[in-house]
Amino acid sequence: MDNSGKEKEALALLAEADKKIKSSQSFFGTLFGGSSKLEEACEMYSRAANMFKMAKNWSAAGNAFTQAARLHLQLQSKHDAATNFIDAGNAFKKADPQEAINCLNRAIEIYTDMGRFTIAAKHHISIAEIYETELVDIDKAIAHYEQAADYYKGEESNSSANKCLLKVATYAAQLEQYQKAVEIFEQVATHAMDSTLLKYSAKEYFFKAALCHFCVDMLNAQLAIQRYEEMFPAFSDSRECKLVKKLLEAHEEQNIDAYTDAVKEYDTISRLDQWLTTMLLRIKKTVQGEPENLC
Amino acid sequence: MSAYPKNYNPFADDDDVPDVAGFGKSSGWNDPSEERRSEAEERQRRLHQEVMHTAQSALDSSNRSVSLIYDSEKTGAETAEELMRQGEALKRTEKMLDNMDQSLNVSQRHMNNIKSVFGGIVNYFKSKPEPKPEPAQSQQYKANPKLEEAFSQSKGQEERYQASHPNLRKIDTSGFGAGDIEASQERNGYSKNKQLSDVHKQLDRNLDDMSAGLSRLKNLGLGLENEIDDQDLIIDRITGKADHLDCRITSTNRQLKKL
Repeated sequence: MDNSGKEKEALALLAEADKKIKSSQSFFGTLFGGSSKLEEACEMYSRAANMFKMAKNWSAAGNAFTQAARLHLQLQSKHDAATNFIDAGNAFKKADPQEAINCLNRAIEIYTDMGRFTIAAKHHISIAEIYETELVDIDKAIAHYEQAADYYKGEESNSSANKCLLKVATYAAQLEQYQKAVEIFEQVATHAMDSTLLKYSAKEYFFKAALCHFCVDMLNAQLAIQRYEEMFPAFSDSRECKLVKKLLEAHEEQNIDAYTDAVKEYDTISRLDQWLTTMLLRIKKTVQGEPENLC
Repeated sequence: MSAYPKNYNPFADDDDVPDVAGFGKSSGWNDPSEERRSEAEERQRRLHQEVMHTAQSALDSSNRSVSLIYDSEKTGAETAEELMRQGEALKRTEKMLDNMDQSLNVSQRHMNNIKSVFGGIVNYFKSKPEPKPEPAQSQQYKANPKLEEAFSQSKGQEERYQASHPNLRKIDTSGFGAGDIEASQERNGYSKNKQLSDVHKQLDRNLDDMSAGLSRLKNLGLGLENEIDDQDLIIDRITGKADHLDCRITSTNRQLKKL
């Protein structure tokens, strides 16, 4: 009941704001301070948009916010324009993902223009998440995550940059772009092993890099493991390293059972997640595939 | 003696138990001793089963503990990464607040210029606002030596623990050695002891894993504690600066309204 009332109020506000704009464009409007009329119209659009939000009419709210943003641009207040575009994006997220991405892109343009790269990076991540979940376009998601990582690196926020890069690497490996994934994992792992707090995650990244090497070629994996052990001695004690060595042995002997046993043993102690399972299955296929070649 | 076989009958599945009739003390000296031996064997079998059962459940529980420790380590590592990210965000926030402070100084000078000619002359003689030197990056280094100390201490303790541990292990296996000889010469008894020693060896390995994992968790916890303490200090400073800036902005606004 309350919400539908709010919606009517919002529609009324929209109409009033539209009238204000039209009047400001007339001759007398520009004489008598057109800009203040525009500011008032801006405010009315924002209020209308908030009321639409209360009524859960997301697309109308998004539209109202976009109108407000355009007015702010006319008034040369970029900050407010960008904020309104972000609000529009958030509202559209629930209704029309594509439109949300458009709004967020426009906001990012404004922020990069002003030199606020950290915020721009944060919104690149939002866009990438929309591509991940709603629109399921992994390539574009990867592109946005990469852009975000670059901006974060530029602002010396290495941890945030690494977080984005890891997502890029995970998706790249899923899409079989192993070279790229390996580079990123190795880079992040070498950065992690020097830090007192982050070194506990370093072994996981080395493990993932080794698996990517393995998907390409067994010899690569062996050389890689040796390199990682030299760089980071603690890696050789970890269960992940022992698992990879067992898998390498099983692969050399073309022994499917040994492979499966090693994986099962690891799984009983630490559950394997979706990504790891996919990678291990791919490697297993190469173990199975080779006997056919020999025959 | 005559009551003895009657008690024994319900348990007697095997053929060791001789008939009730024709049971004299004199006849068949072997019979009672055989009976006693079969009862003893039965008891031994039951005890073996119980021991295996207990050892197996101990092994299962140690497996669960090891997996829990690894899970905790994973969670701790993720927390550490998140903390690092937050730490960077906080440092950025502090820098920005300092920048805002500088900007407010500049705008204050401009306003003094605008307000009055006298103010403008005073400004000319006041020193120009210099950019503050960046706060030294000493916080990271403070965490490091303390962590290194804790790390080396825990390593020393681990070595002492390992020195004591092999001794314990020797006692266990020597006990098994004695058990091997003393247990019944049947092959059943021997193989059970071997199984038991395997289970115990696996248990020892799990316990080693657990001790290594726990020491890593301890170091991780110490590192997290240091990072959180540092970030607490930063947050306090940020709160102070933000309040200060808030006051300055309100007063600047008031001055602008008066102009």
